[in-house]
Amino acid sequence: MIRNTKGMEIAQFEVKLKEVFTNSYLMAVIEPMTLADFKVVKKSREQFDKFNWNQYRQKEVYKLRLKEDDIILGLMCLIDHTDEATDAIEIELLEVSSENIGKEKRLDCIGGCLIAFACRESFKRGHEGCVFLVPKSSLLDHYPAKYGFQYIPVKSDRRPNGFMILFEPGARKLIKMYLDAA
Amino acid sequence: MKSYKEIEKKHSPEEIAESLVFPGPKDPAKRGEMLSVLRQVRKQQKESQSEESKLISQLLQLKFLIEDYLKADSFNKNFYFGYFLKEYITRLEKKNRQFAQEIDVDPTELSQIINKHRKPTEKIIYRLEIHSNRNFPAIMWFKILEKERAYELLHDKSIVNNERGHVKQQLKFSLT
Repeated sequence: MIRNTKGMEIAQFEVKLKEVFTNSYLMAVIEPMTLADFKVVKKSREQFDKFNWNQYRQKEVYKLRLKEDDIILGLMCLIDHTDEATDAIEIELLEVSSENIGKEKRLDCIGGCLIAFACRESFKRGHEGCVFLVPKSSLLDHYPAKYGFQYIPVKSDRRPNGFMILFEPGARKLIKMYLDAA
Repeated sequence: MKSYKEIEKKHSPEEIAESLVFPGPKDPAKRGEMLSVLRQVRKQQKESQSEESKLISQLLQLKFLIEDYLKADSFNKNFYFGYFLKEYITRLEKKNRQFAQEIDVDPTELSQIINKHRKPTEKIIYRLEIHSNRNFPAIMWFKILEKERAYELLHDKSIVNNERGHVKQQLKFSLT
């Protein structure tokens, strides 16, 4: 069981996912990954084919699954920047299962629920809702449009090197949108 | 593992941003540069953050800590009703006496609850819900109390045994 900086267990967290075709809602949970889960993900190459999650076994990784079964629908790796100057949660990696990406997806809101969970953890750990991620340059317009992130460019002699950030109001909004309905 | 170009062939940028976050720069210099700018931005944001926003963050932290504590199987003897009540008062930057006035409770009674010398009455719990504008609902405070009581009952047999003298009749069989 993962414990947060206050020494408290991180409990299983309930969320609601929308089933696109029936327009109904299904209960799901977000919980820490176990070593057995990493083996399952490694075998589920068709569902999780974008990243090598095995490289993140030693990190703080969460899974989202339906409450009724063990099928993993989404994964997220967080970095807790506890130093006073950064004081934020970084979403290092996030992946929604292949069948739930795009127009043919069965379930909606998996990514949103995971990002909102990161926002909740940020408040809980005393980072005032501050959450950031590093975007691909072709996605610069889309994280702000979908999740309300603010893009901060980093002027560099190397390639563009900015980040996306959320503060208290934006983080609260995502929590309200994706978690409070559960 | 699929390359970004392969992913782009199958999905629009909107779909990708909705469902994926890619790892940031691996180059330590590049990452260091990014984190350095992030710290500057964070500093500026903290300097300009309103008092209300700071208070909201503090109270949300407390609320989420309570929610997770209530969901967890384990009991922590440091997280009793009075502890969370004191946290609520402290985060509002109020003195006990001032808070007692605000919810029309005797300051001694409040102090005894905070220091675990007395259990809170129902009316205090209802007033906490009203004071917090329902952000900390009565049911949440009752659940803290319930968790505390369950732990006490499991670990202190004398709580029930002290009442034995008052029970004149009891069932003679066990259901299990």
